[in-house]
Amino acid sequence: MSRPDWIGRSHQRIGARDRVTGAQRYAADLPFGDVLHVKLVHLPSARMAIKNIDAREALAIPGVVCVLTAADLPQPVPRFGPAFIDRPILATGETKFFGEPVAAVAAESKDAAEQAAAKVRVDAETLPAVLSVEQALDPSSALVQDPSIRPDDPLARTNVLREWTFGWGESSAAADLVIEHDYRFPMVTHFAIEPHAYAAAPDENGVTIWSPTQHPFVLQRVVAAALKWPISRIRIVAPDPGGGFGGKGWPKFEPLMAVLALRLGRAVRLVLTLEETFQAVRRTSARIHARTGFDREGRIVSQELTTDFLIGAYADIGIRVVSKASYAACGPYRTPNARVHARALLSHTTPSTAFRGFGTPQASWAVESQLNEAAAKLGLDPIEIRRRNLPEKGEAFIPNDTPSDGNWASALAAARRAIRWDDPLPPNRGRGISLGLKSSSTASASLAIVRLHYDGSVSVLSGTSDMGQGARTVFAQIAGRELGVEPDRVAIIMGDTSIVPYDSSTSASRSTVFMGNAVIKACAEIKRQLRTLAARALEMDESRVDVGPGSVRAGDKDLTYPQVLQLVFGPPRGELIGVGEERGGGFRPNHPLGGRPEFWEFMCSAVEVEVDPETGMTEVTRLVLASDVGKALNPQQVEAQDEGAAVMGLGHSCMEELILDDRGRILNLGALDYRIPTIQDIPEELHSVLIENEDGPGPYGAKGAGEGGILGLAAAVGAAVNQAVGVTMRDLPLTPERIWRAIQSRRVQPAPGPVEATPVKR
Amino acid sequence: MSETTERRVLRVNGRTFDAPVAPHHTLLDVLRDVYRLTGTKECCAEGECGACTVLVDGKAVCSCLVLAVEVEGREITTIEGLGGEGHLDPIQEAFVATGAVQCGFCIPGMIMSARQLLSTNPNPTREEIQDGLSGNLCRCGGYSRIIEAVMRAAKATT
Amino acid sequence: MHPFAYARPDKLDGVLSILNEHGPAARLLAGGTDLIVRMRLGHIRPAVVVDPKHVSDLSGEIVTTGHGVQVGARVTMTMVIEDARMREHFPALVEAASVVGSIQIRNRATLAGNICNASPAADTVPALLIYGAVVNIVGSGGARRVPLTEFLTGPGKTVLARGELVQSIDLRFPEEPAGAAFGRITRRRGVDLATVNLCGLVTASGESRFAYGAVGPTAFLSVDSSGLLGDRPIDEGRRAAAFRALVAPARPITDVRGGRDYRTAMLEVMTRRTWTKAIERLRRQTNGGRPV
Repeated sequence: MSRPDWIGRSHQRIGARDRVTGAQRYAADLPFGDVLHVKLVHLPSARMAIKNIDAREALAIPGVVCVLTAADLPQPVPRFGPAFIDRPILATGETKFFGEPVAAVAAESKDAAEQAAAKVRVDAETLPAVLSVEQALDPSSALVQDPSIRPDDPLARTNVLREWTFGWGESSAAADLVIEHDYRFPMVTHFAIEPHAYAAAPDENGVTIWSPTQHPFVLQRVVAAALKWPISRIRIVAPDPGGGFGGKGWPKFEPLMAVLALRLGRAVRLVLTLEETFQAVRRTSARIHARTGFDREGRIVSQELTTDFLIGAYADIGIRVVSKASYAACGPYRTPNARVHARALLSHTTPSTAFRGFGTPQASWAVESQLNEAAAKLGLDPIEIRRRNLPEKGEAFIPNDTPSDGNWASALAAARRAIRWDDPLPPNRGRGISLGLKSSSTASASLAIVRLHYDGSVSVLSGTSDMGQGARTVFAQIAGRELGVEPDRVAIIMGDTSIVPYDSSTSASRSTVFMGNAVIKACAEIKRQLRTLAARALEMDESRVDVGPGSVRAGDKDLTYPQVLQLVFGPPRGELIGVGEERGGGFRPNHPLGGRPEFWEFMCSAVEVEVDPETGMTEVTRLVLASDVGKALNPQQVEAQDEGAAVMGLGHSCMEELILDDRGRILNLGALDYRIPTIQDIPEELHSVLIENEDGPGPYGAKGAGEGGILGLAAAVGAAVNQAVGVTMRDLPLTPERIWRAIQSRRVQPAPGPVEATPVKR
Repeated sequence: MSETTERRVLRVNGRTFDAPVAPHHTLLDVLRDVYRLTGTKECCAEGECGACTVLVDGKAVCSCLVLAVEVEGREITTIEGLGGEGHLDPIQEAFVATGAVQCGFCIPGMIMSARQLLSTNPNPTREEIQDGLSGNLCRCGGYSRIIEAVMRAAKATT
Repeated sequence: MHPFAYARPDKLDGVLSILNEHGPAARLLAGGTDLIVRMRLGHIRPAVVVDPKHVSDLSGEIVTTGHGVQVGARVTMTMVIEDARMREHFPALVEAASVVGSIQIRNRATLAGNICNASPAADTVPALLIYGAVVNIVGSGGARRVPLTEFLTGPGKTVLARGELVQSIDLRFPEEPAGAAFGRITRRRGVDLATVNLCGLVTASGESRFAYGAVGPTAFLSVDSSGLLGDRPIDEGRRAAAFRALVAPARPITDVRGGRDYRTAMLEVMTRRTWTKAIERLRRQTNGGRPV
């Protein structure tokens, strides 16, 4: 009997039904009986010296149970962080960013908490704040971080938290054409439609924290470290996030909630407003200086990049963003000579965190724009210049590292076709193309437990977070294929560290590959057990027993799994448990990133725009994506992720930017003046082409996906605008006003003379 | 004039709710915190994102901008009021089928806006769909599958 | 939100007496799309919120009067957009109302509330100005009529005195054929507040009325009675000069939505485009609906 193959089909998303009926429970929907409501108190400037906090009026409000400040915590105030332990549970001494809480109110009702928070009197003085790359590098600027936090670091008396130099080949090499510019990528915020929400309560083992975290096990160890408790006493319950994009990855207010719950001996919950969410998370902004040398055929001779990332007041995962993105910043190109000088800069701004693309959108903006300019100067088609520089599959383009693992040129060709690159262009229209390359997970681990129940149904236990990408569905499909069970007889259990086994994170587009492989291995383990147990029960040699998906052939008998289990266990019943682990290539201590990327996430984006030259208003008319995914286990889910990532990319390309005043306050705080793409901002044509060569390390040849769409989008838009109205933009976002300004200044300046290749003198 | 919390009678999804309601609590607050109908979501709380969209007498409104006390005697419909015992409304079916649902947080609001749109305009053009859903933000998807879902639902109900 | 007392009178007198008694500590709750946002942000903390939506003397209808229409206090943007008379006689106002927020906002926001909120960037105001809107005010001391040009006095400020409210807005049917168009500049194609907005109307006899918003403390109306901007061939330079005169009172500033120089430039671009559209529509009118 032939079974439908569960792989490569767009199965209905598990959880879709609950989401369309309103039954899905997000963190703020969880019912708590007796719970205290928490409201944070924060100050009106980024950097303020806290002189005194007077909570008497607040405490007098009926229903208010506690107003916690840094003074109430053990001294020195406990700090936490996923990589660098720098962030205090509550601001101590001075606030370091606009929105850093100085106190937390707990009350019996939301109203009481809100009123009390407004009544906490904080006597504080505004201090000069470091708010930009230039200010961070200026030796006369204030230090964001107390040098005593990193006493052995020679950079401790600067705002450079860390710096790196990556590279190979010559530091200078002769080139026929050198292009050198500065590029800027703005501060943007994730704006998941679900604001952050948390809860915590003491439990019989220690404490339970509810947080829509993408990485429950990171949260578990960070809280354990902050409390100085064993991991085993911390339980994280992680409801499916209402959008994560990296913003719900790394701990923010959970340590504070744990402290409150334990101190008060009661459950506490905190739901941030959207404004507070903007203050809590953002992408690293960057200034990138790029100097790219080409020969006259358009082949890259050298890339020298200085990548200055403004990471914010605390490190969060910022150091990793900078190192990972800078290491691979040269892009998917043969680069014989490369130097990347990277710096992670502290500032009195929201601690930046992971955000889809993890530093690569910033680097791509610069590198891809350089290629577009070179193409124009050399009279080459932008597709052709890329094609000439693409490595072949299997070719290393970063020495001693994971080589190109896809037929990347075919994605370029597919995008060219899909956008109809060679169609004639009406006036004021332009097209742009770009490539995006992101390294996936470099050293991580995923464990999965699969349970085969007595009746043949299956449970999969996984620490992955399903934040909209459809992880549950993919794992059900895999278990379905491996064990021959209908996906509706597969239960996917996620989001509880007391139940599911360890997983590093849901990030770096890694979960289909790592957790998917772990699920396959766990299923293989179950099949091994079935074989051994069946052979023993049937008193035959194992060599005569063959286990396939859903059935066991023993000698000349065909048995279903339940039949085997009945035979094996008898009336007392039982179950089989398989554990699978995927660690990939593993940790390499000598590698700058700790390991090689397991796979490369590669995307070609192509865009067509129409610009109104009098107003600068820009309409994106077509947007296509061609991604090298290996195998799309659920094509609809992959396409939907690509499309979503691309539209998110339109955001930072065309309209998103957090605007700060000189006191570090965010002026466009909230949905009214922070503009993200709406349904009226999308192109008429938006689609994703999936290149499937089954050449990935994941299940059935899969690679990861989900971030590709956002990586190179901005440069494609920039190139399209350039073709449409003849202006070159190097600062994002390309708002109507900025485009208008560029058009005006081009009109005012004399037209540039013919461009000559500039030989480099050395 | 009422200062304090008084019992108010609101009709939601054809049911009558009689519970104490404070004047300064929005319809969103009361739906979620008092009636425990958590399908309607809170996001921007200023009428810009549409996550809190419900119908009042069939018209889509942002429940974060409506005081609960204002809508006594009106017919309020939330996402929980769509579909029935074990079956989904055609709009809900369509959203599932086209892959319009990712994280899902924007979806209840989207569906309620789509509901109003299709009840007054059963055969909308792409532009009309974009206009009808212009007040609903989605951050996960590219909106194209949402547009497709509304078109699919329109076809299914004619 | 800070707690407040809620009153829902069923008579106009009830509303007026509360407004009189409490002055600025009482706020009228029309559509709520501005008031509730400001209360939530803590910008205002009224002691009393008065809900006028059950007062029969505050009409929720658009009524045909002898010379035009009267838009009642409770009329929403959606009602304006869907009304056949508004679409026929005041199409630019319908255009403007159609971009106020989203459908969710338009189902609640009232035209009266929009002018009372008096945002310099309110989209309906330029349209109301070119159509010569007159505001009917009522208070315990009696009723008065104030042209919209005088009603708005500054950002968030109107001539309404303590205890007064807007009962309705009068619009006169244009006395001769005219073409009108609304335009604006925004930061994205989706729902947005205007960086610059404007409305222009040209009559068959050549009078032009252009009103501009988001470029000064209040929207302003410029009238050109010279005929230079009518539908007639004239020297481009003279027309350009006439356009410049229209926008001369503008005082744009730089804020998060736009820079001053950009706004200034957009005034010029949008005036020209809006005028062109108005002329096209005038021609259609005077040709009995046939396109030219």
